[in-house]
Amino acid sequence: MVDPLTLRRWSFRALFAALALLVIFVRILPYHVGEDNWPAPDLLVLLTFAWVLRRPDYAPVWLIALTGLFADVVFVQPLGLWTLLTVLGADFLRRRHQATAGQPFPIEWLTVSLVLLAMHLGQTVILGILLVPQPPVGATGLRLVISVLAYPLVVAATAFGLGIRPASPAERDGEMRA
Amino acid sequence: MARNRQTSEEYTRPARRIVVGCILVGLVAILLFWRIDSPRAERFRAQIVDRVVPPMDWALLPVTKVVGMVEDFQSYSRIYEQNQELRRELQQMKAWKEAALQLEQENAKLLDLNKVRLDPKLTFITGVVLADAGGPFRKSVLLNIGGRDGIRDGWATTDGLGLVGRISGVGDTSSRVILLTDSNSRVPVTIQPSGQRAILAGDNAKLPPLDFLETREQVRPGDRVVSSGDGGMLPAGLLVGQVVLGADRRMRVRLAADYERLEFLRVLRSAPQAAIDDPGGLVPPMREPQTVALPETPADG
Repeated sequence: MVDPLTLRRWSFRALFAALALLVIFVRILPYHVGEDNWPAPDLLVLLTFAWVLRRPDYAPVWLIALTGLFADVVFVQPLGLWTLLTVLGADFLRRRHQATAGQPFPIEWLTVSLVLLAMHLGQTVILGILLVPQPPVGATGLRLVISVLAYPLVVAATAFGLGIRPASPAERDGEMRA
Repeated sequence: MARNRQTSEEYTRPARRIVVGCILVGLVAILLFWRIDSPRAERFRAQIVDRVVPPMDWALLPVTKVVGMVEDFQSYSRIYEQNQELRRELQQMKAWKEAALQLEQENAKLLDLNKVRLDPKLTFITGVVLADAGGPFRKSVLLNIGGRDGIRDGWATTDGLGLVGRISGVGDTSSRVILLTDSNSRVPVTIQPSGQRAILAGDNAKLPPLDFLETREQVRPGDRVVSSGDGGMLPAGLLVGQVVLGADRRMRVRLAADYERLEFLRVLRSAPQAAIDDPGGLVPPMREPQTVALPETPADG
């Protein structure tokens, strides 16, 4: 007999994986291929952060690593680098979340923005060390700004659309007991 | 309760840390592997994409079509103007067609008189664009034909009119085309009518710039740009586009291929050009007398 809590947890993990795949799928649609319009926000990372800050147990670190690696393979990115930074960022946010649960949204937004900035800087530095040719700074910066601006939308969709909210104290107690 | 929580955290935290640490080490290892043995990693990537993306085409193609239909539907609102525009263009096209036919006949006659041997005809394989498998700053598309159909790395790809890019990465049933606008794309081109050679260097913008122009004065906006075939990678004479003057005063190329609608792409089978490696029989530098085949050598079999 599967207990309802475990079932719920695993179904939400499956939902996370499905959403991540959906984001990747939409991204690779061969639609307006050659257009150089605005870079799209990094929805995968935003989704990960929104989930980690709300329900860390629904987005376990191995799932984040798997989805990130898949994205690295499909989008022609350096294998593992962006995943590595995502895992680091998510883990930092997870630890912070345990320290200060229930922080107001603007502070959360600021934290996520700083983490994203640190991730981009880290990517630039690591690619520089590995002597890999890099995209121009302006384009990367624009993408960072767009990602930061898109974060509230992702959070709204996560919290109100999917019902991923921070666990209430009662729920937490229940989890502890289980 | 608080106590219980503390003890459970005491047990779970180190275990978590170990898991996270292992994952991080694994990712660093993957990154280093990618950096050190790049060709193998890219082959690995091509294999994974080959496994994953073609089975998705049942979903990829309909979604793309539906989005395209929605967009076409929106364009119905200005169908009248479009119609007028098309009529005007058709009229111009007729004039051009007439001119082209006359030129073709004239050209055929002249070639016949001159006994000119042009490049051997190119054969091609046509594939469907499966996915836009580029990252945020990579411009590439994925085709549904691959090693099974004899595709090789480096072959040129056109959309029937102009050069689109070249094959870079071949899986069994899929292959990646790196577009001319990608920042890693470098294609040797000739600018007509001045005959200047240049390199078309993608920079992620819609209009890729021309690098290494010798005398810029001879190149004017509106000149035709065709591939030059230098380096033996791409066949010569493929239409690339027209020279335009970019906003940054650089010479850029408006591509002839319709990048907005990349649906079917032709991959041109290019046989490597025959290399000339011996000086020939007439003026040898050092030659032993016996190498000339003598009539009295016995032929067996």
